[in-house]
Amino acid sequence: MRAFDRRTWIPWMFSAPFLVLFATFTVWPLLQSLLLSVQQTFGPKRTVFIGLSNFAFILRDPLFWQALGNTAIYTLGAVCIQISTSLMLALLLNRPGLRGRSFFRLVFFAPSLVGLVFVGVLFTLLFQKRTGLINSGLHAIIPAWDPEFAWTDNHVMASLLLASTWLYAGFNMIYFLAALQNVSREQLEAADLDGAGAWGRFWHVVLPEIRPVLSFVTLLSVIGSFQLFELPWVLLNNSAGPANRGLTVVMYLYQTGFLVGDLGYASAIGWVLGLILVLAALAQTRLARNEET
Amino acid sequence: MFSPGAWLILSGAVASSLVFLLWPAPARSGRAFWIFSPPNVKLYEAALDNWNAQHPRPAEQTHLALIHYQALERRLVAAFTSDAPVADLVETEGLLMARLFGGPVEDVGFVDLTDRIRAEGLNDAIVPAAFSQWTTRGHIFGLPHDLNPCLLAYRADIVEAAGIDVGQIETWNDFRRVLAPLIQDFDGDGRPDRFLLNFWESQRDLADALLLQAGGELFDQNDQLTLASEANARTLAALVGWLAGPERFCVDAPEFTAGGDRMRLDGTVIASVLPDWQAGTWKNYIPGLAGKVKLMPLPAWTRGGLRTTVWGGTAVGIAKAAPNVELSWKLAKHLYLSPQIAEQLFRTTCILSPVKAHWELPVYHQPDAYFSGQRIGEMFIAQAPHVPARRSSPYRQLAMERVTSALIALKAYAVAHDRFDSAFLLPEARRLLAEQQQDLAARIARNVLYRLP
Amino acid sequence: MHASNRRFSLLPIYLTLSLFAALTLLPFAWMVAAALKSQDDFFTSIFLPPGSGPFGVGWERLTLANFARLFTEFPVGRAMLNSIFFSTVTSALATAACAMGGYALAKFSFKGRALLTGAVLGALIVPTSLLIAPTYKLLWQLGLLNSYAGLILPAIAPAFGVFLFRQAMLNSVPRELLEAARIDGCGELRIFFTVVVPLIRPMIGAFMLITFLGAWNNFIGPQIVLQDAEAFPLSVAINNLRGLHGTDYGLIMAGTLLSIAPVMCLFLLLQKEFIAGLTSGAVKG
Repeated sequence: MRAFDRRTWIPWMFSAPFLVLFATFTVWPLLQSLLLSVQQTFGPKRTVFIGLSNFAFILRDPLFWQALGNTAIYTLGAVCIQISTSLMLALLLNRPGLRGRSFFRLVFFAPSLVGLVFVGVLFTLLFQKRTGLINSGLHAIIPAWDPEFAWTDNHVMASLLLASTWLYAGFNMIYFLAALQNVSREQLEAADLDGAGAWGRFWHVVLPEIRPVLSFVTLLSVIGSFQLFELPWVLLNNSAGPANRGLTVVMYLYQTGFLVGDLGYASAIGWVLGLILVLAALAQTRLARNEET
Repeated sequence: MFSPGAWLILSGAVASSLVFLLWPAPARSGRAFWIFSPPNVKLYEAALDNWNAQHPRPAEQTHLALIHYQALERRLVAAFTSDAPVADLVETEGLLMARLFGGPVEDVGFVDLTDRIRAEGLNDAIVPAAFSQWTTRGHIFGLPHDLNPCLLAYRADIVEAAGIDVGQIETWNDFRRVLAPLIQDFDGDGRPDRFLLNFWESQRDLADALLLQAGGELFDQNDQLTLASEANARTLAALVGWLAGPERFCVDAPEFTAGGDRMRLDGTVIASVLPDWQAGTWKNYIPGLAGKVKLMPLPAWTRGGLRTTVWGGTAVGIAKAAPNVELSWKLAKHLYLSPQIAEQLFRTTCILSPVKAHWELPVYHQPDAYFSGQRIGEMFIAQAPHVPARRSSPYRQLAMERVTSALIALKAYAVAHDRFDSAFLLPEARRLLAEQQQDLAARIARNVLYRLP
Repeated sequence: MHASNRRFSLLPIYLTLSLFAALTLLPFAWMVAAALKSQDDFFTSIFLPPGSGPFGVGWERLTLANFARLFTEFPVGRAMLNSIFFSTVTSALATAACAMGGYALAKFSFKGRALLTGAVLGALIVPTSLLIAPTYKLLWQLGLLNSYAGLILPAIAPAFGVFLFRQAMLNSVPRELLEAARIDGCGELRIFFTVVVPLIRPMIGAFMLITFLGAWNNFIGPQIVLQDAEAFPLSVAINNLRGLHGTDYGLIMAGTLLSIAPVMCLFLLLQKEFIAGLTSGAVKG
């Protein structure tokens, strides 16, 4: 009986600090934003209930759909490029007999240590049209390269992917590196005896072993990519770029709230984004389940 | 139990907490003044020390806080919607303040200064155009810090070495014609490496300034959207020929970037539209241009047209919720109307005071070595009375972005048809602007609280 | 024979790794060079200024003036202290709260657990921009504006922290061990500290580093909540160098170097735990 009593309040005791703060600083503001999403407000005193008009407007708001499209493209690119780069680096670093492993690990992780301010300054410098390191370098090597190739104007998503790969690939690499350490040497050697090549070894031995980490990293990347805001905001000099080519959903939310002052519509955008992500997560779980059965 | 790093963090937490208990940050009592422009810190600090010495009561002491523009933006919007306090005085930029105008005039979080400004004759003392950015539906909410007339800065060394006399330039067409010989391909790759003007379709603020110079506006006197005006369509159609096609003379050398600055230094770009504050930035951050640049009035769009435009702008607003509005008003006037500060302002930042009486100050009439010995104060003053007014709207920034979008689309259209003359582009310019106007107007109409007379 | 063969086969790997390392380090090299150059030289060369010294570099033109200016013209000492306080306290408290919360969610079955887990998972996808305005209002109502409490308290309970710890507990804390300790009569708190915490030590190290980094590099949050310049952390001080009107690159890069150095050291110290910890949070249990 005593044990039972203990069990009922013990978990609450452990989760109390988190629970109180989570309820106060996440759940409560979330509920407030839900309330805001059905209102038009100005200042503390003016509040007009406008029903679902914000949500109805989202459905026919071309900017929202453009933002969603941009975000989806970025997410697809980020998942493919970042994750394959990270996995490749981890596989290379995991080769037995390699020296200087911890040096390389530190180097690849280093970008995660710098703040976004720095990334903004730096990549603006790299991407500049005539004077940027990329264009001036390419132009020097290949004279036919147009020095006015406008990375952050016409190729916003490519620039973003380049910057975000530099920034995040090292972090994901650490996940894979740790997962690869669980792959047993015996299995690999057995595969060697079976005459499997490097590709076969990766496909039949390594991949199944790291699949849980891979799907976890993919999930985190998808969530992170869908919330993409500050990197392009800094990179595009606090704007969505020319013709909104760099507009992401969260950037649109921010612009609506803080550049137009329409917190109601901004909240509605946030909730619709949340809904889309939940649906995506459910779809992914269902897919994964189908795969297993 | 923990790793060395974790121990380090834990002991750091304990140690720094102890330091904080023993050595707390000095608590600020009194009044706050938020600004976002770093050069103004030094300028105001001295003046505030003076002020605080004259107002020794703790509640009257005023302290300066420099806040990054983005943080100021979030703070102001969040505070005004939740009734949380902002500083007694907030120095802010035009587009940011206008965002706080998106509701009934009587609910704007800043004090309505209209009556004070009229009663004290400030509307005559200060150039009227300086108020336009801070005015919504006829009510003025900011005391202007500046006026921001624009001139044309050009590489005098290069132009003069080529034996070109800029005195022949009166319009943008003259500008292109007279300076065209300077456009050259130095490295033989078939592409020019020297251009005449720093402008690109992505430069939103400059596009706005050029539109204003051509007599266009984004909003009319009643704050109604006029994005799709005929003047704007004509300007856009003309601008495309600047950016692409056989007569292109512009290049993208963005301000505040190392790359853009390098292009100015290398002579990749000859001329730039230069508001007064930008002249100050150049002096401070591109020392290499000293003695190589000169200023001249902007080329006009038509003969006899405006030889200047306006770009940027700062004003101080007084928070309604803060106690002692009178004292804040007194301080605002002390800082913004004082001849000493006006003099210092010009010395450190090249910003011209909007107070006409100050234009007699000797500082504006001294030669400036950076600009090859020109008396740049006099040159800005000569254009100051002609600075165009900008109508303020919470949707102004959006409208400016729509102009950029239309310009980008129009340039793509021109490239696709390989036609760059404005007569051909004008119908498409009209169509694109009308499209943008319709979409933006629909958004403005959704704000049931923002009603215009 | 075999060994030399292997060394030979590693060559392309070294080459690839070195290429990627060079690409990664290039921006850092540029940053160090920029911090050591004067404003004039900044534009004349991409990396080090050319001159007559060894390697064709004008070594005599390099200067520590940017660092000197940083320390004399800006109160970086106070800012550094603020940063250390804000980042270490946030990191320590967040780790404690999330570890305990994750423990409750992973190792106890109680009414409301499913709901709570769902809420935590749901909160993972909330964009923070959505919460800025309501949180500001709340902080004002609670009287926490302009105080470190207003900055630290909302940062202590990130949903992803509880999520990571929950995963780590599911993976590396066997239920039998807890039951055995209970049968031995250990108190619940003692079980947590003597049995659970050592088992999830890597996750603790990893999460501490992640939260520390987040707090250390956060430059917008402090400026929204804190109002006095004396309270601003280093990230804000550095970012203020880069104002709207003007860009002094050498100074900014010197400041950035100054702010990267401590986290670099911390990563070196926590490296091992970090790698082990991230996996323990990742694998599905």
